[in-house]
Amino acid sequence: MSRKKGNNLFKNIASHGFYNACLLATILILSAILFASAVIRQSLNTGMKNMKKRLGSDIMLVPKGAKENAEDLLLEGSRNTFYFDASIYEKVSSIDGIAESTSQIFLKSLSADCCSSEVEIVFFDPETDFVVGPWIEEEYAKTLSGNQVIVGNSITVENGVIRLFGQEYPVVAKMAKTGTALDSSVYFSKETMPDVIAHAEEKGSFLTKEQLEGGIISSVFINLRSEAKLEKVLETVHQTIGDIFDVVYPKQLNTSLAGNLSRITGIVDIITYALGGLLIVLLLLFHSLIMKGRKQEVALLRILGRTRKTLIRELLSEVGVISLSGTIIGCLFSMLIVFPFGTYIGMQFQMPYLGPSFAKALLTMLLIVLFVSAISLLTSILFILHVTHVEPYLALRREE
Amino acid sequence: MLLAENISKRYKNSRRTVLEKVNFKLEEGEFCAITGESGSGKSTILAVLAGILRPDSGKVCLDDADLYALSDKDLSYIHQRKIGYVPQANIFLKQYNILDNIVFPYLSGDTKNGQELFERARAHLEILGIGDLWDRYPYELSGGEQKRACLIRALLMKPQIVICDEPTTGLDGKTGKKILTYLDEYRKSGKTILAATHDDHVKACATRVWNI
Repeated sequence: MSRKKGNNLFKNIASHGFYNACLLATILILSAILFASAVIRQSLNTGMKNMKKRLGSDIMLVPKGAKENAEDLLLEGSRNTFYFDASIYEKVSSIDGIAESTSQIFLKSLSADCCSSEVEIVFFDPETDFVVGPWIEEEYAKTLSGNQVIVGNSITVENGVIRLFGQEYPVVAKMAKTGTALDSSVYFSKETMPDVIAHAEEKGSFLTKEQLEGGIISSVFINLRSEAKLEKVLETVHQTIGDIFDVVYPKQLNTSLAGNLSRITGIVDIITYALGGLLIVLLLLFHSLIMKGRKQEVALLRILGRTRKTLIRELLSEVGVISLSGTIIGCLFSMLIVFPFGTYIGMQFQMPYLGPSFAKALLTMLLIVLFVSAISLLTSILFILHVTHVEPYLALRREE
Repeated sequence: MLLAENISKRYKNSRRTVLEKVNFKLEEGEFCAITGESGSGKSTILAVLAGILRPDSGKVCLDDADLYALSDKDLSYIHQRKIGYVPQANIFLKQYNILDNIVFPYLSGDTKNGQELFERARAHLEILGIGDLWDRYPYELSGGEQKRACLIRALLMKPQIVICDEPTTGLDGKTGKKILTYLDEYRKSGKTILAATHDDHVKACATRVWNI
């Protein structure tokens, strides 16, 4: 005998199994789409914010012909290396109009040495660096000593060391996830560069002898004084070092990236709204069919003395259970796709992509559960009110 | 006890007025059979008197309370405790067995004595000869068995008035007689019966026949 209300609720839901299953599926899909859309939006925005932090210089000088590679490296994290003479930094840094400058050297590892894929090795000067340095300091305030390294978030560290070019380097800190190339980079102080390059040489370096002897750098990041004119500074740089460089404008990249982000989120929004609208129509349809199928049952219960208020409460409970189940399953299902394939999704958008933290994902899920459940309840209320207000005899008569 | 004054009713999208200024009075302890041709409005007047079909005009009073002026809560109380209605079709909640169908509608209301209701329902099922079918589902029962279950459901809360729409139609003589005996016993316990019928056996059992 079914004497418990909970049992009755599930029996009632099961008794209209097909339409309730359709309703559940609709809510599930709606929730999954909204969750995926929200997480993708959040990830792109967070990736963008981190990118803004990273692209913290006015201009970046790179070797002639390496502009595209440098832009790719900044935006998509592609593993490019390019070099020019280290003396360029000394010449450029003293030019009038430059407020601060720093140089970096990018080195590619051999994949078999440490990681499942190649990593970007970045040598930076903690004393002058204003691009990567402050970012690292968020996690690690001390200066690097000896052959210590800091690693990006995606780098796997075993027993506190990382193996590069046959050598082990102690890892003193791991950076927060950025959704950019920083995540798979290893950061050395410039002081350790000769040692690392020597080991790279032993393993079969790809640097030319001239590069190794003369000293190399990959890029010079420059911030201008507020009163300085960009064109004039670049002209002076040109006069000083000759036509051997290309200029990358990180902040312009940032602006173009923001435009792309806006377009992508716009497309994501349109798709979400269109599918959301369609699914809301389906919700209305299924609620209507379910309530139509229950008209006789509701009429019978009213004839037997059930109040409208009780019936409305019971019907809303059933819708609530279906909605909550559907939206929770939908979000969990969406999580199974969006999180494991986050990197792939980011690559498809060709944008920095940083997934939300567990807490933020849970909060997003909670908001979507509440939002979709509310929509489902709201779309059902009209039909519930209708079915509970039809004259009981007329409802029975139509069925007879 | 139950008084109907100037009841008129026309269904939406119908040109014909089914009831026109109908007056009716039902006294306590009566067994009134309503007869008439098909389409004469027997079922409609029963529904109006049962408080489940609002008339276009006129009023229906039960012990001086106008049914259609009552709040939903008060009318629900009357449906649960004072007027038991047995529809012409045997309508059940398909997801529940017969015993649950009889008791469940009353459990979520004010009734707290659920166990007593289950016991009473089992006793009535025995009386009407379907005691061993309590755990069957409605679709597993014959028309006559279903009708008996509907009747028990309407009588479970011991209402003052039982209103039946064609209680014996489509049933074999033996089952019809069982139902009539059951209704008559109920009337003799001080209750009132109102039934729409074409069946001469029902008319014979009634204390009054009203040809509409």
